[in-house]
Order: sequence, then structure tokens, then C-alpha cells
Amino acid sequence: MSHLFSYDFRYDDNVYETETSLKQEEVEESIGRIYYKLVDPHTIVNGGEIDDSGHRLLRIKHEQFVRDALHGLSSGFAVLDASQPWLAFWSLNSLDIMGCDIDPQLRQRAVNTMKQFQAENGGFCGGSRQLPHMAGSFASIMTLVLVGDDETYKVIDREAMYRWMMTMKQPDGSFSMHTGGEVDVRGIYCAMVIASLLNIMTPELIASSADFISRCQTCEGGIGPYPGVEAHGGYTMCGLAALEILGKTDVLNLGRLARWMSSRQLAFEGGFSGRTNKLVDGCYSHWVGGAFALLQKALKRSQSDGYLYDRAALQRYVLACCQDGRMGGLRDKPGKSSDLYHTLYCLSGLSLSQHYMGVNPKELISDNTSVYSVPARMMQWDAMPMGTEILGLRSNMVKPVHPVYGVSLVPLAKCIKYFYSLPPLVVSLV
Amino acid sequence: MRVEGSEDVCEAAPLSQQEEWRDVTPIPQDDGKHPICPIAYTDDYREMMDYLRAVMAKEEISERALELTGRVIQANPGHYTVWVYRKRLVEELNADIAGELNWVSSISAMYPKNYQLWHHREALIVRLLDPKQATEGQSETELLRHPVIRRELQFLDNAINEDSKNFHAWSYRQWLVSTYNIWEQELIFVNTMINEDVRNNSAWNQRYFVILQGRNPAQVELDSELVSGEIVYTVENIKFAPNNESPWSYIIGLLLRHAPGKLYTDLLPKIQTLANNKDYSLAMTTTQFYWSALVDIYEQQARELPEQGKALLEKAQSICHNLAIEHDPMHGKYWEFRSTSLSV
Repeated sequence: MSHLFSYDFRYDDNVYETETSLKQEEVEESIGRIYYKLVDPHTIVNGGEIDDSGHRLLRIKHEQFVRDALHGLSSGFAVLDASQPWLAFWSLNSLDIMGCDIDPQLRQRAVNTMKQFQAENGGFCGGSRQLPHMAGSFASIMTLVLVGDDETYKVIDREAMYRWMMTMKQPDGSFSMHTGGEVDVRGIYCAMVIASLLNIMTPELIASSADFISRCQTCEGGIGPYPGVEAHGGYTMCGLAALEILGKTDVLNLGRLARWMSSRQLAFEGGFSGRTNKLVDGCYSHWVGGAFALLQKALKRSQSDGYLYDRAALQRYVLACCQDGRMGGLRDKPGKSSDLYHTLYCLSGLSLSQHYMGVNPKELISDNTSVYSVPARMMQWDAMPMGTEILGLRSNMVKPVHPVYGVSLVPLAKCIKYFYSLPPLVVSLV
Repeated sequence: MRVEGSEDVCEAAPLSQQEEWRDVTPIPQDDGKHPICPIAYTDDYREMMDYLRAVMAKEEISERALELTGRVIQANPGHYTVWVYRKRLVEELNADIAGELNWVSSISAMYPKNYQLWHHREALIVRLLDPKQATEGQSETELLRHPVIRRELQFLDNAINEDSKNFHAWSYRQWLVSTYNIWEQELIFVNTMINEDVRNNSAWNQRYFVILQGRNPAQVELDSELVSGEIVYTVENIKFAPNNESPWSYIIGLLLRHAPGKLYTDLLPKIQTLANNKDYSLAMTTTQFYWSALVDIYEQQARELPEQGKALLEKAQSICHNLAIEHDPMHGKYWEFRSTSLSV
């Protein structure tokens, strides 16, 4: 069905124009031009079908784009001076997902760079000598996971990390992003990811967090940053992934969530928007598209039931509309320039739509809310056999990524194995 | 690679040549050996940061430090560490809050998508107008005349005019409205925004927030008349353009949570009337949102009227089938699922 090209799938504004419908029309126009060129002329008599056989992931271009960034960024990037661990994570994870080589020298440089970000009293900062930050800690630790081995994991002072995270913890279950900083679902996601990887998940750390996330589910069905605020793709992924770590996805109204997530895939574009009546953006291929693997498990659907979205249509959007063929890298939508953020999340969304990520039902762990079952539950996730669906050239296939952590499985397993072989952390909380 | 909005704003002489800064030894950024993704800072930015690190290291509380944080934030408003320091400086120097607010507003205009400045703003407003005192002694009408509140609402009007779905601006509005209990004006504002663009989902979300007055939905029982009023309002807005997800999503979500029975006693007849009206029937019967609403409605009806349960679920199933193959094939997988998940 998704192969059919038809202007009928465009947004019907009922001949009533508003700002939203005009912007939507503009985007459909530019995407329509791209898809129209892909229509196989032999099928015009039947209404026209899109020929997807030629889609090619421009690996060499994207790799060069990322390697240039690893080498150095222009002065304009000073606006990301407090997001330095993110620059590293977006770059290295993009390389890893594409299967590009990360040589020992680059690994060492990455480790050295992350070291500079670690704060004396725990946590990682957005840059050296800044304040520790939840998101900076997430990005630094995930970068170390990507390039790490047992030697480099030692860089992380997990006891200090734990103590610092406890100082960010709020009585309602949420986390502050930094001292005196904003509070939202991102903080819980970062904390749960870090704690589950470093083997520092304690009942105190996770107390009330699932409840906070459930209060962020809006009546539309998606998840917002904190109670009351509009549902949004980024927070939805964060909330759902955090609940998967906690083993508590059932605190959500999953039917409404499924409805909202499914609705984010746009009928004509094939890509996802981040909110109701907003425009398509390549990054939501990850934040919403990627969350369908989590939704699938939460709904206890089997692999043969299939994901609740159109995987081919999403891949078409990423491959045909989000690649910057001139500069390399991937982007929000045609007409925008590529950047590291969109490069990673387009690739990650592509990966999660190419591979069916799931848990073998025979191995499903039933004791799913115990903090002790976390490493085993997280490592159950795998690319299921016969679950691959590649649009375009076979060589477009990228590495499978873990739907909770967003990185490939081998480095993740290595990291979990290391930290869970360490003796339990003894910290005095008071 | 380039990022927008990073033009340097400084025209003054380098700090190293200024008498005022002679006593400070700058602390250079230590990125370690051969870092990845190093940023080629301009000399000006690098110098500002070197001096800022130095004054922060000794926790200096001074006018010059305050000014320096301002320059850094202007160049990079995402620098949360500098914001935290600035907040402390403003407090301890007893700086002019109104002036600070003006300054934050000017930054907001340049960087509408920044997190920190909204957070900073909240703290300033609380200092200017103590919420406890303000809400205890004054009615909403009186509060709306208060210059601080008037100014904030004006500021937000501008931000939302600039970008009608600005996530931060709407969130900040929620904070302002619930902190100072100014709910009535907010409903008027929401109506205006929905009138301007009936597809603005941020406005519809705000409507729910106002109806609940910021309370936890799980603990709120909504007045029956109020809910019926919302149904009328929503259906009136569906008329403008039935193929608009926002009002459907709003009313179905609201009713499922707070008054599921009204789905079939109140909403159903209204949308069916519309679907049978020749002016609306085409638009209604071709939009997936109408059919999708019927699925939710019949499922609820089946729950409450067990004697008709089987027939209603079959109706819902057949609608799901039609949605999957005709009205909304892109979401075919979802409609298959919805059909199998129907339950009483």
C-alpha cells in the first residue's frame, strides 16, 4: 500500500486555510516533487507506484561529514559550547551505526575528551569546568560506552555519579537537569539509563519516577515534559524508554499512546512529526519511529503482528528526503541543512525501522520491576531473525540499535557486563 | 559547518587590555590532549570564557562579573552554568530586577527556543511579585492590572505571535497562569488562539490545562455542564475543518478520562447530525478522525450497554477495517491493532 504514489494522501484542509495548513502544504509540495520523480512510469496507468529499488544511503558522504566534525568545528558552534558531550555522542554514534571504523586513536581521543567533562563531585558537564548536567552525563557516558573497554569504564566515578544524581532527585520522582535547572522527563530518562548501565539503580533513585512519567501522559496519549504540557515526540521516547527500564510501561494508557504515536506518521510524507498538527522532521524517525519497538513489547505484541507503523514509508522519507547529497549528513526536511543531531537521529530511526528489535518470548523475564532484573531484561533486546526490512539497496542496512539506549548492542553488552561484575555500590545516602 | 545566530556582539576592547580586569588571571579551557569535536572559538568568545572561568573559580560577586555573564549568554544562551552564576549574581548584588527582565526579554527575541532564559525569567517574576501575597489579597481582575502580570502576558503574546506553537512559551504560560491563578483570562486567550488557527494543537492542549485548572486529572471530577459545554465548543470548531486532528484528539481524550458516558449520549448525536448535514457530510465522512472517533465511541457504548455490546463492537470493527483499507491506509497496521484491541 505504501508504494502507491497519490496526491490523495496529502493533507485535506477542507478548503479552510490556516497557518498550520499553509505550512503543511508547503512541505508536502517539496516532498511531492521528490517522490514524484521516483514514480515508475510503467505504473502510471494504475495511478503510479513509487520505485524504491534505487534508494541509496550515502555512507561515504555522511562519514566524511561526521569525520570533519570530529576533527574540528567552526566558531559558530560556540552556541553548543555547553553541549560538547553531545557533539561527541552524535558523531561517534553516527559512525558506529553506519559501521564505520572507530580506530584506537580516535577511541583514545574520545576517552580523553570525556575525562575533561567529569565533575569532581560527580556527573559530567557540558564542557570542562562547567556544572554537571543530566543530559551531559548521558551523552558522556554513552560516548564512553561506544568507545570503551574495561580500562576506560574506570574513568567513570560511579559512586560520585550516584551521589550527584541523588542530589538532582525531586520528591515527585523527577530529576533536575542540573543544580537550579529545569525539571522534566528527560532527566528521568538520563538517570535511568545511567543507573541501569553503571549498576547503581537503587530503590531510592527510582522512587516515584514511574508515577511522574504517567502523570506526563496527556489526554491525547503522548507524553509531555511535565504534567500539563503538550505531548511531544522527544519526551514520549524518554518516558517510554525510562518505563521500560523500570519495568513499568503498564502505568501508561497504552491504547491512547499507540493512537497518538501512530498518528505522528504523516500519510503523504511517511516521516514523523513530533506533535499533533506539526510538520514532519527527520529526527522524529528516532524519537517516535524508534519508540514503536518499545510500544510493541509494552503491548505484548509478537513479531508476527508487526510494528504499528509503516516501516517502508519511514525509510523512504529518511533516504529520499533527509540526505544532504552535497554536504553529507542528514537533515530535518528538504531545504534544511544537515547537522550532527539530525544525522544521528535519522540514522538511528532508519536502523530501528530496518530491524525488528524485540525480546524472544521464550526468554521474557517476568519479574520485571525488580532492580536486580534490569541488566538481564535490557540484554534480552535483540534484532529478531527474519525481522529485517530494507528499503532500496541491500547495502543500506545499518547496525541494529537498542531501542532503550539508542546504541548498538555489542558495546552495550560489554559495558553492562563490566559494571554488573563489580561489587554492589555502598553509599551512605544521608 | 555553521550554526545560525552566533554573530559576535562585542565591540569593546579585549579584556586583557582593560584596566578593570588587570587583577584577574584568565583560566584557559582545558580540553585535554587532541580533543574530538573541538570548537574553533573566536578570540573574543575564548577570552570571555577564560575570564569568566577565573571569576567563577573564586566565586566573585561583582558588577563586572554580571556584565561578563551577560556578554557570554548573548553569544551562547545555552550556557546553563553561566545562567546559574548570573542568577546568583543578580540576587547577591541586589541588581535591578526590572532591568534584568528587560535584558532577558531581549535575549528571548534572539533565541526563542532556549530553555534557560525561561527558567531565569520565572525566578525573576517570583521576586518581583510574591505569588502567595499576590493571590491571597487580590482578585484576578486586580491581578491582571498589576504591571508585572500585564507585562508578562504581553511578552508571551509577542512570543506566541512570533511562533504560535513555541513549546517553551506555552509551558511558561502554564507556570504563570497557575502560579498567579489567572485562569479566566487564559480561557479567553485560548479561544483567541483557536480562532486564529483552529489547528494549533498547543492551544487545544492549553484548553485542557485551563479546564482542569492545572490539577491532577486523576483527582478531578469535572462538572457535567462544563463537559457538555466543551463538547458544543469542540463540535463548533470541527465544523470549520473536520479533517483537523486537534479538536478530535482533545474531545475524545477529555471524555475518555472524565466523562466516558457522554461519548455516546452527547458527542455521538452531534457528530452524526453533522455527518448527515449536506454542508458537512463530505468533509466528515472522508476524514479518518470522524471514523476514528466512532470507534472510540462505540467501544465505550458497548461497555455501558452490554445488551447491544456485540453489535456495537462489530460496527467498530468494520469501521477499523474501512479505515485500514480506505480512509487511512498509511496507518493500516494501527487500525488492524485497534480492531483486535476492542474490548468491553
